[in-house]
Amino acid sequence: MTATVVRRAAEVLGAVVGTALLVGALPWLSGTDPARAVLRAREEEGAPDAAALQAVRDTLDLPADPVTGTLGFLGRLATGDLGTSWVSRTPVADTVLPALGISLTLAGTASVVALLLAGLLTVPALLRAADGRLRGGGPGAALGGALSALPEFVLAVLLVAVVAVGWGLLPTSGFTGPEHLVLPVLALALPAAGVLARLLAGAVAATAGESWVRTWRAAGVARRTTAAALGRRAVGVVVPQVLLLLVGTLGAAAVVEAVFDVPGLGGVALSAALAQDVPVVQAAVVLLVAIGLLVGGGGVLAHRLLLGPALATSGFTPETARAGRRPQRVAVAVAGVLAVAVVAGLLRDPSAQDVGRRLAPPSWALPLGADPLGRDVLARFGHGALLSVGLAAVLAAVALGVGLAVGLLGRGGRSGPADVLNALPAVVVGIVVAAVAGPGLLAACVAVALVGWIPLAVHTRTLAAQARASGFHVAAVAGGAGRWHVLRRHLLPVVGPPVVRHALVRVPHASLALAGLSFLGLGAGAESPEWGRALAETTGYLERAPWVVAAPVTGLVLLGVVAALADPAPGR
Amino acid sequence: MKRRTALLAVPALFAGGCFAPSGGDGGADAADRLRVALSFPPVAALSPYTDDALLLTRVGAAETLVTFDASGAAEPQLAESWEFTDDRTALLELRDGVVFHDGTPMDAEAVAGSLNAAAAADPGVRVLRDVGLVATAVDDDTVQVQAAQADPLLVQRLGAPSLVVLSPAAYADPAAPDPVGHGTGPYAITAVQGTQSATLDAADAYWGGPPAADGLDVRFVDDADARTSALRAGELDVVQGVPIAALPTLTDEQRVVTTSLPRVTALQLNTASGVFADPALRAAAVAAVDPGAVVDGVFEGQADTAPGLLTDDTLGSAARTAPVLPAAGDPAGAGIRLATYDDRPELPEAAAVLAEQLRAAGFTVEVVVQTYATLEPDLLAGAFDAVLGSRLTLLDTGDPVGYFGTDWTCEGGYNLARLCDPAVDAAVATAAGLTDPRERRQAAADIEAQVLSTGAVVPVLHEQSRTGVAAGVQGVGDDPFERQVVTVATSPGR
Repeated sequence: MTATVVRRAAEVLGAVVGTALLVGALPWLSGTDPARAVLRAREEEGAPDAAALQAVRDTLDLPADPVTGTLGFLGRLATGDLGTSWVSRTPVADTVLPALGISLTLAGTASVVALLLAGLLTVPALLRAADGRLRGGGPGAALGGALSALPEFVLAVLLVAVVAVGWGLLPTSGFTGPEHLVLPVLALALPAAGVLARLLAGAVAATAGESWVRTWRAAGVARRTTAAALGRRAVGVVVPQVLLLLVGTLGAAAVVEAVFDVPGLGGVALSAALAQDVPVVQAAVVLLVAIGLLVGGGGVLAHRLLLGPALATSGFTPETARAGRRPQRVAVAVAGVLAVAVVAGLLRDPSAQDVGRRLAPPSWALPLGADPLGRDVLARFGHGALLSVGLAAVLAAVALGVGLAVGLLGRGGRSGPADVLNALPAVVVGIVVAAVAGPGLLAACVAVALVGWIPLAVHTRTLAAQARASGFHVAAVAGGAGRWHVLRRHLLPVVGPPVVRHALVRVPHASLALAGLSFLGLGAGAESPEWGRALAETTGYLERAPWVVAAPVTGLVLLGVVAALADPAPGR
Repeated sequence: MKRRTALLAVPALFAGGCFAPSGGDGGADAADRLRVALSFPPVAALSPYTDDALLLTRVGAAETLVTFDASGAAEPQLAESWEFTDDRTALLELRDGVVFHDGTPMDAEAVAGSLNAAAAADPGVRVLRDVGLVATAVDDDTVQVQAAQADPLLVQRLGAPSLVVLSPAAYADPAAPDPVGHGTGPYAITAVQGTQSATLDAADAYWGGPPAADGLDVRFVDDADARTSALRAGELDVVQGVPIAALPTLTDEQRVVTTSLPRVTALQLNTASGVFADPALRAAAVAAVDPGAVVDGVFEGQADTAPGLLTDDTLGSAARTAPVLPAAGDPAGAGIRLATYDDRPELPEAAAVLAEQLRAAGFTVEVVVQTYATLEPDLLAGAFDAVLGSRLTLLDTGDPVGYFGTDWTCEGGYNLARLCDPAVDAAVATAAGLTDPRERRQAAADIEAQVLSTGAVVPVLHEQSRTGVAAGVQGVGDDPFERQVVTVATSPGR
């Protein structure tokens, strides 16, 4: 026990020192002179000439190399001092700690709301499963798929326009009381609830096939009791995901924070990283990583608590899902609609500009209207589809492969590196990748792949823990089966299908994550019709010309529905 | 059951969580307070030695000795009059009856102390760099300012926002003066809530008469759409920087105050390396650009087509000379990279329109868009063939010659076109020594023609500021230097 605690403490310490060093090396990695960046953050205009830069350098007392700087930071940290910001010359703690409190409030509420919403979406499936009438993931899966594909920033702008400005029900921005919490939480929670609902639906469907459900039903156990037991099993699978969401949102909600003018940690980390304000980024990242590791450990614990003694006493009898070989008819129909629109767009010219028809509404000549430069939205939708869907599918496949491998092969219930990566703000990952790989599409893919596998690995780990506690697994191991044999015959068939479905639901996410890095020069080029890029550029026109935003959003939502309903059969 | 109770407690825990401190609503007289949103948060706790100085002057919380008219000439503010005693010394007569917000009268000692603190600041204040300014109190209301060398701009410098005059009590920490309750303007800052908001009360002893509002509740909101939404929802009365894309969403309840700015959006061509090192191809690019499509299309008419780098307001009566460009060459599909940044929302769209025009003229164009902070090192290193950027031509001193010095001379600190023309350098050096404002403007017009004749830059448009106000609000500042937004005359009109 003591050894475990010591090892755990060493892990945490290593992660904190490692990430602090990584952040401390940001100026060296990106080749940016921190004096220039700091000067620019303090004054927008003016020339960064040699004399001005030297003056900043003299006052900043910049460390000679990343190791010295980081050691200084860690030394101060040990005494409880977070240091002084290079840009504002005020104590870092005064900036970062209130922002962390606000982000914890926002992300925590959003996670709870997402779980509750996902639970509500799953109630019908639970009741049907208790009656033994459940086929596939049920309507909750489709709705979940659609919700999960909604881009958070589009949802945020829409909520402000309709609920706050249109109906005047809630304040548009600011964060001075609980009434300011509602809209940002909805913007963050609705897409997340979609993903969770899809996972819950999958978990309910898998559990519903276990023999005890039939036994309970035959024994006349009340429907409500069976449904509750099923629900508890399903929630056990998603709780680690909710905790990932909580930590991931803490430092990465910069875009939603900006729309609602919420002074959270995402915005602080973003502006500090861009201004090379290393002390602030270091403090933010170290706090996030510490919270990530703490909560990640909590996820494993929560899973154990919810499943109770069953996990330790071989009480499980998970069965491989008997998924049909044919995708559902609805999925085929939706995919057909999507394909027709894409082909229609491919036949048109996506780059012809005509500012005379700026934001022109849909007409016979322009079936989906025109964008701010008078370009044909339908044409851009079609030409962007191949890139958006193709890239997103490849990224999801990579995430699936890595996630399955890490989740299945990892020893024990811990996944330290995943919790650390999940906690890092996207901008930090983006800047590091851009520095190492240079700007461009490939670098963006690397950055997205670097974090994309985490939820899948955690999902795999959760399911594998259940499978390992099952009678047949214990029997196989006791019978002397080799590790690979057990993996291939007993773990993969149980764990594989739900994780593949999870990966599919995250396909639209990958597309949006790519676009989220475009301001760093990562991702598709400036004039590319890629959907995420198009959305990032045109969301400001949502109220004036909804059609410009509607086309890529509809594309992503339809893609989400297809992915949620596709339900491919696992390879046996 | 205990476990379930614990789970239920989680939402309650978060709902009672952390929120940003609120500035309070001002109680019963809230109706006569103005709710204002400025366009960026303080970067250094409102220290005047950074861009935060602009926030102070925009809400009328601090003032400088002089201010500028539309052409950039000095006008009295805290100084009532001034005269040069030699080419590096000026005597300023202070306004009578000015009292700091903390009750201390503004005398020559206080003003000299304020200026000397700025001169000693580290890192130095931009407008005083290499000036060696020394201020001394001659008598109770006369201050002498002296530069190390002859300085025709000596008095103009005193109009820079970083030289706002604060009460002696503000300089407890000389590196970061504290303006809270220490300024002279119509409104006194009473509290600052981090980088989110500030509360100001009317300064009844203001030298310009009683302010029209009882106080200000100021929010610092980065996101332009968030500011505009708050105005539309009736949560704010005055909002800086309404984006062009949002103008059609305003109703009868709001209107926009527009002011032409000395800010040029221009396409700068890299004269040192790449395709545009060839003057003939630069001339081809100049000929290819049609600013009208950008002004009418992307900016929807909310900008002025640029007759040159400087605005007509800046040049006043000075005459522009038509530039003479070399003969245009044939691009023959030459590949160029055109960079711009997305911090100003119109620039990426404008870049796409210009790229299309250059393509029509025979260039092959790749557009690069990033956020300014990550793009600047590459811009300064000359990594691109063309840069579409936005630039103030009258900065701290209201003088156009300085702009040519930083942006268009060999040693200039912001020479994105990498232009190094000895004739331009010589003309800038000569112009910098002129003392007569009219001669300086004519010299600036001549330098502009020289720069344009190199084909290093294509002026596209001059920008406008757009301050959104609720329908009843009167008397919002229309300062082309964007230094005064809320003035003594701004009233909520409720």
